Amino acid sequence: MNPGPPPVVEVSRLVKDFGSARALNGLDLTVGEGEVHGFLGPNGAGKSTTLRILLGLIRATSGAVKVFGQDPWADPVRTHRDIAYVPGDVSLWPNLSGGEVIDLLTGLRGGADQSLRRQLVEDFELDPRKKIRTYSKGNRQKVALIAAMCRPARLYLLDEPSAGLDPIMDAVFRRHIQRVRSDGATVLLSCHILGEVEQLCDRVTIIRTGTAVESGSLKELRHLSRTHFTVLGLSAQDALALLPVVHGVRTAGTGVEFDADAGDLAAVLSALGGAGVAGLAVAPPSLESLFLRHYRDLNGQVL
Amino acid sequence: MRGIVRLAVAQARQDRWVLAVWIAGAGLLGYAMAAAVGTAFGGEPERAMIVMVAAGSPAFLFLRGLPDGTGLGEVVFFQGFSFTAVLAGLMSTFLVVRHTRHDEELGRSELFGTAPISRSAPLSATLMVGVAANTALAMVLAAGFAAGGLPAPGSVTAGLAVGAVGVFFVAAAAAVSQLMPSGRGANGVSAALVGLAYLVRGIGDALGSASDDFLHVTPAWPSLLSPIGWGQRARPFTEPDPVPLLVLASAAAVLGTGVVFLRERRDLGASLLAAGVGKERAGVAGQSLFGLAWRLQRGTLAGWSAGAAVMGAIAGGLGPMVGQVAEGNPSLGDLIGQLVPGSQLDIVDVFTAALLGMAGVLAAGAGVQATLRLRAEEDEGRAEILLATPRSKARWLGATLAVAGISVLAVSAITGAAAALGLGLTEAGSHPAVLILLAAVAHVPAALVFVALTALAFALLPRLAAALGWSLLAAGLVLGEFGEMFRLPGWIQELSPFRHSSAMPVEAFNGTGALLMAAVSVAGAGLAAYLLGRRDLTS
Repeated sequence: MNPGPPPVVEVSRLVKDFGSARALNGLDLTVGEGEVHGFLGPNGAGKSTTLRILLGLIRATSGAVKVFGQDPWADPVRTHRDIAYVPGDVSLWPNLSGGEVIDLLTGLRGGADQSLRRQLVEDFELDPRKKIRTYSKGNRQKVALIAAMCRPARLYLLDEPSAGLDPIMDAVFRRHIQRVRSDGATVLLSCHILGEVEQLCDRVTIIRTGTAVESGSLKELRHLSRTHFTVLGLSAQDALALLPVVHGVRTAGTGVEFDADAGDLAAVLSALGGAGVAGLAVAPPSLESLFLRHYRDLNGQVL
Repeated sequence: MRGIVRLAVAQARQDRWVLAVWIAGAGLLGYAMAAAVGTAFGGEPERAMIVMVAAGSPAFLFLRGLPDGTGLGEVVFFQGFSFTAVLAGLMSTFLVVRHTRHDEELGRSELFGTAPISRSAPLSATLMVGVAANTALAMVLAAGFAAGGLPAPGSVTAGLAVGAVGVFFVAAAAAVSQLMPSGRGANGVSAALVGLAYLVRGIGDALGSASDDFLHVTPAWPSLLSPIGWGQRARPFTEPDPVPLLVLASAAAVLGTGVVFLRERRDLGASLLAAGVGKERAGVAGQSLFGLAWRLQRGTLAGWSAGAAVMGAIAGGLGPMVGQVAEGNPSLGDLIGQLVPGSQLDIVDVFTAALLGMAGVLAAGAGVQATLRLRAEEDEGRAEILLATPRSKARWLGATLAVAGISVLAVSAITGAAAALGLGLTEAGSHPAVLILLAAVAHVPAALVFVALTALAFALLPRLAAALGWSLLAAGLVLGEFGEMFRLPGWIQELSPFRHSSAMPVEAFNGTGALLMAAVSVAGAGLAAYLLGRRDLTS
């Protein structure tokens, strides 16, 4: 392996306890320079806690945390110079206008790029004169996004950034993520919407109950996933007898559905070839199935 | 109706600890006052003496209320009723705003709004909880009085008088919550109404006329404008009269019905005073932590300043009348001379010093409130996005404490200026205006100690910061106002910062005390900054 540039975010065996409750339990996470990294997990998995630790807003109970090679808890101010952040639960000052909040937050970071600010306000169709009190959730989200993105940063930490955005604004958001990516910035965005991750991210880390269960590029992860088959003219009993390697066999209309591991595809196809099937539909492995697989495992069910 | 009861139970459950502390605190205070008066003024002659002094001193009448006979119960009621009624009023307004405008602002009411209950059901439930809480407070207070040795029937009436004032403010705060767009604004205005009720009663009582034997005082008409004045008219230990309490309860019922009517006709989240359009861009000041802290506090500070101006104007404006009363009663002057041997105190000075002392408490209140914004910012999640910028927690704390310090100074200076102006216009004072101004500002170091203590509470025990900040101020006030009366050991009384600031113009300026308090404040703020840097941001 070539050494390459050091990772922007490097977390190993991270543990965070809140009283007796363990929020993070030995989390590992590495985000390389210039990468758009998806941080995927259900509600309460520990995504926001991780981001807050990366910002030095809360302290790790144990484990190593490095952002730009530094411990963020030891010197948060220095780390924050190169970070733009959008919190998961955007709470702003009700009696300030949207424009004033954008100026406040960028002013504290050293000032906005004015042409970029104009562009973002226009793209997100925000009325910056309205008081925060009168904004909808989606409009408050836009204010936080504009404030984060109108000054270039080396690292963007975005906690469920597209929550509350309509599909058109979501497209605007994705365009601006592509822009900062082409500028060479690193992005870590937490999410539980798979479409978002599939469209944006180079790499993904999946987190469940405070532990990373899977990490890699989308291609690598798809390898781990199963291909979905729908076969007509075959009963569930036939399928089970014929294909002992497949998973989740169930009757669907006049046919049968099942999933097959990537390594078993050749065997499944040759077996189906001799079975005289009436119809066949094969779906590529989706992140959805990968995702669900990890969470179904919780209940001991196998997909 | 079942829905309302269910909501009321849920709200009461949410508040059970807060209310328990308020109610138990009131009961303890009642017991302590009764026991203290019983010990300090056990005999009829001693009580007669203090009642006569008080009846002849508008300062006493203003601060405490109306003397009404020499029995143990009468003296306790006169000493403690106004103060306890203010506590009941504040308990009620905080309770109501918490469950009405505050919930509405944070969007919690929207959930209830979709349930199959009427639009006003949460409000009706809150009114119900408010009445129940004040009934409990009345009973516990009555028990406290009785345990302290007061006659039982009078104790119950006295408790009910305090409860009736509380119930009135339940309805008043509900009305304010319909008008104000934010929970913070509604809290400020409702609390100011409680303060105004105390002040108006004070003016009416100070202008009252004493009976010939100086054992009773009949209030002047302004007392009738104040619910606390009405409560006082119940005269529980002299001639118990339920009519004033029924007047209060009816006023509360009418007001409460009107508010429910208003709520039925109002959109969720709408208010009479609507939020306007803001500026498109922030100025240079709006891009700094100090600018933000100032922006958040300035509206509230205007309210505190108005209160300070009223307080100072009363100190200045009532001065001449105080002087006249003293001149008309040479025997009273002799009496004071006997009680405080060797001192020939100017009665106007005593009055001015007492009111400026209260203004010091007001200034500390403004400082504590400004400091507690730190907790609100953290709790409501705004600190997170703020501290994700390259600004340290210490700078954030420092900017907020600077604004808190400015608030303390502004409130003190405005009271002093208004008092000096009033005394100057009425030519009652014998001191230069600058001295009066300095007398007000002399309380700033002590008030700053409470700012530092609140900051420390925020850094150490964030979830308890508000409770600790206000309790410490209340403790300081009780030690200062009632410490002598309770015969507390000297060292406990010395714990109150207000004991170390000078009651000018009666006393000389105590430079050492002021320096000590200033040093304690700075050290406390520094320690708070250090401790804040070591702890997690918590919601």
